[in-house]
Amino acid sequence: MNVTIDLTVNGERHRLEVTPWTTLLELLRETLHLTGTKEGCGLGECGTCVVLVDGSSVNSCLMLALDANGRQITTIEGLASNEELHPLQASFIEKGAVQCGFCTPAMILSAKALLDRNPGASEEEIRRALSGVLCRCGSYTKIIEAVRTVSKEVEDS
Amino acid sequence: METQYVGKRVPRVDALDKVTGQAMYSVDVELPGMLYGATLRSPLAHAKIVEIDTSAALTVPGVRAVVTGKEFPFTFGHMIKDQPFLSIHKVRYVGEPVAAVAAETEAAAQEAVEKIRVEYEELPAVFDPRKAALDGAPIIHEDLGKYDHGNVYELVPGTNISTVMKYSRGDVEVGFSEADEVFEDEFYIHPVAHTPMETHAAVVQYTPSGKMLTVWSSADAPCQRAKDLAKVLSLSFNQVRFISTYSGGGFGGKGAIVAEGIGVALAHFTKGRPVKVIYSRQEELTASQVRLEAYLKLKTGVKKDGTLTAREAEIIWDNGAYSSKGPEVARRGTLTIFGPYRTPHLTLLSRLVYTNKQPSGAYRGFGTTQVTWACEAQIDIIAGKLGIDPVEVRLRNFYADGDPYINEQIMHTAGLRETLEKASQEIGWGQKKPKTTGTKVRGKGIATTIKGTNTPTDSYCFIKVNVDGSVTVLTSSVEIGAGQKTVLAQIAADTIGVPLASIHIPNPDTCSTPFDFGVTSSRTTYHMGNAICLAGQKVRRQILETAGEILKTDPERLTLREGEIIDRDAENQMTLKELMAKKYGGKGGAIQGEGYFTPAGSSLIKAKPGIEWMSSIFWMWATHAAEVEVDTETGVVKVLKIAAAHDVGRAINPIGCEQQIEGSVIMGLSNTLFEEFKMEKGRIMNDTLADYKVATTLDLPEIVPIIVESHHSEGPFGAKGVGEPALAPTAPAIANAIYDAVGIRFKSLPITREKVLAAIRNRKP
Repeated sequence: MNVTIDLTVNGERHRLEVTPWTTLLELLRETLHLTGTKEGCGLGECGTCVVLVDGSSVNSCLMLALDANGRQITTIEGLASNEELHPLQASFIEKGAVQCGFCTPAMILSAKALLDRNPGASEEEIRRALSGVLCRCGSYTKIIEAVRTVSKEVEDS
Repeated sequence: METQYVGKRVPRVDALDKVTGQAMYSVDVELPGMLYGATLRSPLAHAKIVEIDTSAALTVPGVRAVVTGKEFPFTFGHMIKDQPFLSIHKVRYVGEPVAAVAAETEAAAQEAVEKIRVEYEELPAVFDPRKAALDGAPIIHEDLGKYDHGNVYELVPGTNISTVMKYSRGDVEVGFSEADEVFEDEFYIHPVAHTPMETHAAVVQYTPSGKMLTVWSSADAPCQRAKDLAKVLSLSFNQVRFISTYSGGGFGGKGAIVAEGIGVALAHFTKGRPVKVIYSRQEELTASQVRLEAYLKLKTGVKKDGTLTAREAEIIWDNGAYSSKGPEVARRGTLTIFGPYRTPHLTLLSRLVYTNKQPSGAYRGFGTTQVTWACEAQIDIIAGKLGIDPVEVRLRNFYADGDPYINEQIMHTAGLRETLEKASQEIGWGQKKPKTTGTKVRGKGIATTIKGTNTPTDSYCFIKVNVDGSVTVLTSSVEIGAGQKTVLAQIAADTIGVPLASIHIPNPDTCSTPFDFGVTSSRTTYHMGNAICLAGQKVRRQILETAGEILKTDPERLTLREGEIIDRDAENQMTLKELMAKKYGGKGGAIQGEGYFTPAGSSLIKAKPGIEWMSSIFWMWATHAAEVEVDTETGVVKVLKIAAAHDVGRAINPIGCEQQIEGSVIMGLSNTLFEEFKMEKGRIMNDTLADYKVATTLDLPEIVPIIVESHHSEGPFGAKGVGEPALAPTAPAIANAIYDAVGIRFKSLPITREKVLAAIRNRKP
């Protein structure tokens, strides 16, 4: 009773057989070995499994892999292009927004989803957009600052 | 000494791995032939196991091993060896592992677990440590007297009391008689979950032929855990190998055998195949470990001018069902209940009591958070009653350099006063309150803390300068998430004189990295930092001597900076890379040095004979000042701002210090206002992150981290530590601010909006 799906992950096309109950998270981590996407609860409560589906942030533990059929998925591994970091990745490093790092991929991708549709997002908009991802190291101050630095560059230019 | 990296805002060396998703955590480890583990857990808080039937589980396709305490009848415990890997004869808390399955897939393991049948005979349970300490309480560990335990822990066989610690100094009765006022208060601090974003996880492999046990985990003290397991399983230290991964958060919770234990039991029955065990969030919240809950009584005598004359403390700590690090929390972690204050007459009784609840363990602060809650709330009560400014009362009693600590250790590098001055200034202490508009009332509160580090403890390191001039630093200090690698790399770079980028610090592997006590007690920067200084000086000396030979000059004329060897007159010059090539040619080789550091023997920790163990090689001081807004209509407490000043000795990396301070403040705020376990008959009802609430970006107040540098005379570049104390003053600062706002004194945590609202409504008009 496997289902065939065809999806694009980080620009690479995959045709795969999955069981109907496989989640997108399981597909990414276990089948495609993209372990940068994390599982912190499996219930859509912690947000560490956020990936981009057609540009929108999604808790991949709550999405079935078969629903990703025909969609464009971006994970943290697909963000840097040709060794060049995405501005958000660079800003996270520079501003000290990374501690244990477990929530970092989800934070960066949630921020990317926001800035792609609202490049000059305000601090308040950033706070709201990132509120679905928990960071127990409590890097929130520096994470918000890192994202705001990128959105300010847009605002200023 | 001029530094290139120490003291600078250096970006973290592990950040690139983490922003690109390349950092490997325990949950990411994948090995050939790996099986998946699942655990059957007790539904009862206290019960005898009559029978376990695993026959149905064994028939599930894909199942490779089903293990119970009958097949693997071992117990572990770093301080008291009281905890079975899998229940033996009885269960002592809801969630205790009773049986485990290893299977080809997670689904098969889970299916098999559900087919295991257990017959229990329920026993009376006890959940309140005060009741558990009484005569006639149900006995949780009948064999308490027989347990192997550290000889410093005073167990009371035949009771539920697993540790008793007494201390006294002077004569409190004299002290109370000298007082103008005597205050007696009772406080309560609740258990909270560590909630690392990465739950406990481990991959364990046992190779029967060589009796080699290999554990991939993010335990915060891999050498200690290897030592514990070797002892329990009658293996030698070199037969137990901990390979550290990156850690998705610890906060003390990864300072014990947790998921590792299930994996170890299973791996003995899988014929050499590795087993992966990942705790679900539910298991993490209900069956890992929590912060020790505590009931604290504090009696304090004070002169009219605010001078403390005597303090008497009595604490009952909840150990939960098994002793993780509870015994040491109840011993060492209790001592700072007297705060950072000179007090001539003191007495303390601390008891650690078993209950039928999830085990308690180390939690950022190691008891300091709990005792600071009581101490600092009471100091505020005292200030209020005497009509003295809370800042003033603290200043009047503060330790200063040269004052004796409770064991007569002479206090040093006391940047305490400066933390209080700076935090209170930042919060605008003493400024007029803004006029209340509507239902929202503002208030300010302040709290201080004193935190030591476990002393003496050891750290070793090994430095290799490789043929190409790159440097490898081998240590068993885990990157728990707090920036250990960065700080250690900065220290190494400046000590040796090489670029930071040329240094690599691999994750620990107890097979090859030398012993370290662990990433606990805010000790890594100081202890491993010092070990790296010692090793770094050795390799630097060898490099310069070699350079002297090659350049045919006196090594004393040479210096090494940023990987460049420079003559005093700048005539001769060569890079470290060139030097290594010249020395070893194409043959290969390395310049090596080892460093061993212990503070034992330092004159700084001299104290009264018999109680030297109370000394700390460095003292960390902090003050938090909070401003809150209480909505009297809804009970919602909004923390507007927290100024958090910490004496860190020297900030090796100011960004790292800020991360620790900011992170602690939001964790402390979350612990204080939101987090609370709801229990029914020992079962935790809120076992998801939807119901166990931790702070998000929306709860973030303005946090102003303030770094005070008192320069420790024996610290690496003057550094002390910062990771743990940053949590302690947050709760009392918030509670004191709430009192300032609405005149309601909370002595029990958490301070939820329901409690605030009820208290406001019950307030006498």
